[in-house]
Order: sequence, then structure tokens, then C-alpha cells
Amino acid sequence: MIHLLSNQETQEILKKLNEQFGVQKIPGKLIKIGNEKIFLFNGDFSDGQIKNLEKITFIERAGIYFGKIFDLTEEIRLSIEGTQILKNQITKNIFEIKKEQLENWMQGQELNIQTGLKGIIIIKHKEDYLGCGKASENKIGNFIPKSRRLKIKS
Amino acid sequence: MTKREIKPKPEFLERMKKLLEPRDFDRYEKSIQEPLLNSIRCDTLKIPPEQLKKRLEEKNWKISQIWKNYPEVMVIEGKYVRQGSQIDIAPKSLSADFSAKNIVNAQKNFKLTFTDYDNAKNNLTINKISQRSALAKPGAEQKISSEARQILVPLEPGELGRSIEHLLGYYYVQELASMLSIIALNPRPNELILDLCASPGSKTSQISAQIKNTGTIIANDINIGRIKILASNLERCGVTNAIITRDDGIRLCEKFKLQNIKFDKILLDAPCSGEGTIRSSPKSCLMWNPNTIKSLSKLQKKLFKGAFEILKEGGKIVYSTCTHAPEENEEVVDFTLKEFQGQIEIEKIDLPVSCRPGIINWNDKNYDKEVIKSCRIYPQDSNTEGFFLAKFKKLK
Repeated sequence: MIHLLSNQETQEILKKLNEQFGVQKIPGKLIKIGNEKIFLFNGDFSDGQIKNLEKITFIERAGIYFGKIFDLTEEIRLSIEGTQILKNQITKNIFEIKKEQLENWMQGQELNIQTGLKGIIIIKHKEDYLGCGKASENKIGNFIPKSRRLKIKS
Repeated sequence: MTKREIKPKPEFLERMKKLLEPRDFDRYEKSIQEPLLNSIRCDTLKIPPEQLKKRLEEKNWKISQIWKNYPEVMVIEGKYVRQGSQIDIAPKSLSADFSAKNIVNAQKNFKLTFTDYDNAKNNLTINKISQRSALAKPGAEQKISSEARQILVPLEPGELGRSIEHLLGYYYVQELASMLSIIALNPRPNELILDLCASPGSKTSQISAQIKNTGTIIANDINIGRIKILASNLERCGVTNAIITRDDGIRLCEKFKLQNIKFDKILLDAPCSGEGTIRSSPKSCLMWNPNTIKSLSKLQKKLFKGAFEILKEGGKIVYSTCTHAPEENEEVVDFTLKEFQGQIEIEKIDLPVSCRPGIINWNDKNYDKEVIKSCRIYPQDSNTEGFFLAKFKKLK
């Protein structure tokens, strides 16, 4: 079951994105599938057309996986694509990793480094936006999904 | 590394002999034993082709943009490695024609270890044969100079899928022939497009890139496992304008018809016997059987009929398969032209590869002469997989 977010719900998410990363605008419709996952759809289909489509067939997904809201902290964790889509708007809580940390990050490993930041942060390397991590005092937790991880050569 | 051998069933080869002239058949038989080129499509939703090319070249990959009008299509001919690296290499191809085809041939047959460039120059450590000729021409393709001292070798198996650029969705590993359906369909911005049998998503993501995430794509598939792969690929490629539906293709068309939902463009990349894919998927040979062809042909006709009925007037539909079987290709086109006589016309397609006309008779059946406007793609012509396409316009 998909849930098209109302204007009010979208504004609440924008407010969080603004607080966390300085984002000013969401480039499309937001759709919730399940309890936490948020998708971004920017096709021409209107809300009404999507609802009609859902009446006649099974919609697996609409748009792209954009991010997740955590129930406890109410923080938003953007997906890799979420960070790439918003990269021109992101102004805060960005941490740039070094070349020697890039492989470890893409392998799904946490990075044992101090960032001076706390909570959900955007990870980038040069011009590449690499999703979000969770910064604590001495490390960054990694959320790269398994399917996107760099496989270690056997 | 052992040389792979593809062994098609005798009955399959007999059918191919009927499709091809004797000398052409020999070329076909040889071509299917050759591994495919390493082709990728730059995801222009994420990165411009020239930028991607530069990045990949910085990894020492040799990149060719083989189709002038499609800079996003690239072939990775190999990678340059420094002396001292252990590499797989082809003795024949080093000194002469260092085409991608030969690089891959090389990989199959020989293993060569360079311990040091100077040593290598005088005394190469090569299994099986002497390799002086390998360094005979330090110019054109070898890129061996006093500064770089590098040599071109094939990519390692799986290396294309392991790069950061791939994981970030900057390119899609896609066989050249598979890109042709969308070149033929030529989707335009803001169109409503149906990809009826969409998994694994290579063509859906190609549509999305071409129309720059505008309009809407309905990407359908029936199988939940395949849909997971489709969703994952569309996500990696940054596709934001697609709605993924899970339904039987024929039933979905009926539902759209009842709701009067009509499309500007439809891609029917139909389920098929996969005869054209034996270079990349030798197991197709084992699975092949003529009864499947008959049942697939029936399914393909039903899918086409359903799809045509939900196409807008003036809308276009591309029918494609990755098989050579006329029952799944020209017979479906012939059926369509007869079923919708006066409402449909078949269009000529301009493709960046060598394309042969559709056949008009097979096993005592004669097809509509317009069927020759279809395109048959053979591996021996453009070093691709085998493929078939036909493009139609709905008149009324």
C-alpha cells in the first residue's frame, strides 16, 4: 500500500531536511511505502492518476528510494540517490572522506574517525555523494546497502 | 584460463543453417564462440559521458565511444597496467590488431607475467610461447613508453561491476544490442511510456535517461524476484519518473484498456527463447527447445495485441526479442500487420549497427512483405548479441 504524502506531511519532512542539511526544496512528490521508507516521484502522473493505477494493479514502487525516517529520533537518513539528488542544496552536516577511506566506506565498513559532528551526516568524496552515515564521537556508522557495497576481490 | 566452448543443440544449428547462407553460417558459428565486448551505457541522469570517460580513463581503462551519435555508449577495451603486474594477455593481439575482440580472446588462452619491463623486453616469462612480438610495437595500442611503460590487458572478470562508478550508478553494464530497442523507440520528453516486460531495467533506465526523468514510465513485470532486480537497478540509475507495477502483461493491458489509459510509446521487449544471448549466457543452449518457441510465439502475439490496443493514435510501439527464431519475430510482426490491418504501419528503423531485413518465408509460411522492414541483428555482423526489432505506428 502506498501513501501519497499530503502537502502538510511533505512540509514537515522538508523542515527536517532543512534543519539537518539545509535543504530548501523537495524536487518532486513524496510517497511513503511501509512505515519508514520514503520515495521521491517526479513523473507527470498526478496523485489522482497514481491512486487510480493502484486501484487496477499492484504498484510495487513509485519513484526512487529517497530516505528513511527514524521513529525514535525523527531524523531523516537520505539514501545514496537522495544525497545525489539534493547535492546542490545540501549545506550542512557534510563530511568529506579521504581517498584512503573511500574503499572502506563503499565496502560498508564504519569509519573510526572523529568528525566533530553528531547524528545523521552526509558523506561525500570529492564530487561524489555517498549517502548518509551516523556520526558519534569517534566513528561514522555505515548504511551502504549490501547491493551497493564494493566487493572485496577474492 | 580454459577456453570456453559453446555447444548449441544440433536442431538449433539446423535452424540457423536455414536462416543463413553457408559461409555466413560459418561466420555465425565462429562468432558465438567469442566473448562479448565490455559495453556500458553512461547514465546521463547522473553524469555527462565525457566526465565519466575521463574518470574511467583515470583508472587506466581504455574507453571507446563506438557510436558517433550516442556518446553515452562506451566499450571498455581493457586497462593499462604497469610492468611487474601479473596480467592475462594475448600474444597474437599485442603486436598486431589490439581490438577489444582480440583482447578478450587473449584472456582465454594465455597467462603472461611481466617481472620487469626491461626483463620483459628481452626475456618475457610466458606460459607456452615466446612473446617477443608482444613488445614489438610500442606505439599505437600498447601505450608502452619510457615514461608510462604500460600495456593494455583485459579487465578482470566482474571488474566492470566492482567499480565505484558502477556502484554509484554512473553507468549501466549493458550489451550493445540491448540498447537498440530504445534507440528505435526514440522516447521524447514528457511522454507517457509503457515498458511492459521491464525487468531487469536496462531499457527502462535508458528511456528515463533519454527523457531526462520527465513524463511517466510504467515499468511492469510479472515476477516478484525480477521486480526486485528492476527496482534495484532503477534506484541505482537515479530513475525518479517510473512507477513499477507487478501484473501479468496481457491482463494489465486489458485493465488499461478498460480505464482508457493510453500511451505515447510502448516497449514490448518480449519474453523469448533467448537464442541471441548464447555468447553471454551459454546456458541458453541447454534450455533451448523448439516447443518453447511455439508457446512463446503465442504469448508474444497476445502481448502485442494487448499493447497495441492501449497505444494512442499516432503512438509508436517497438517489439523486440533477443532471439533469431522467426516464429517469435517475423511471425509476430506478420500476425500484427494482419490483425490490425489499416490501423498499423511498420516503420523503417535507423540503427548504429549492421541490420538485416526481416525474412518473409519460413517453414512453408509466407509473411507480409512489409515484414522486411524489421531488423535482424546477428553476432557476426557487429560483434553484438543476436537481436530482433520492429517498430510500428498506430494509425487509428
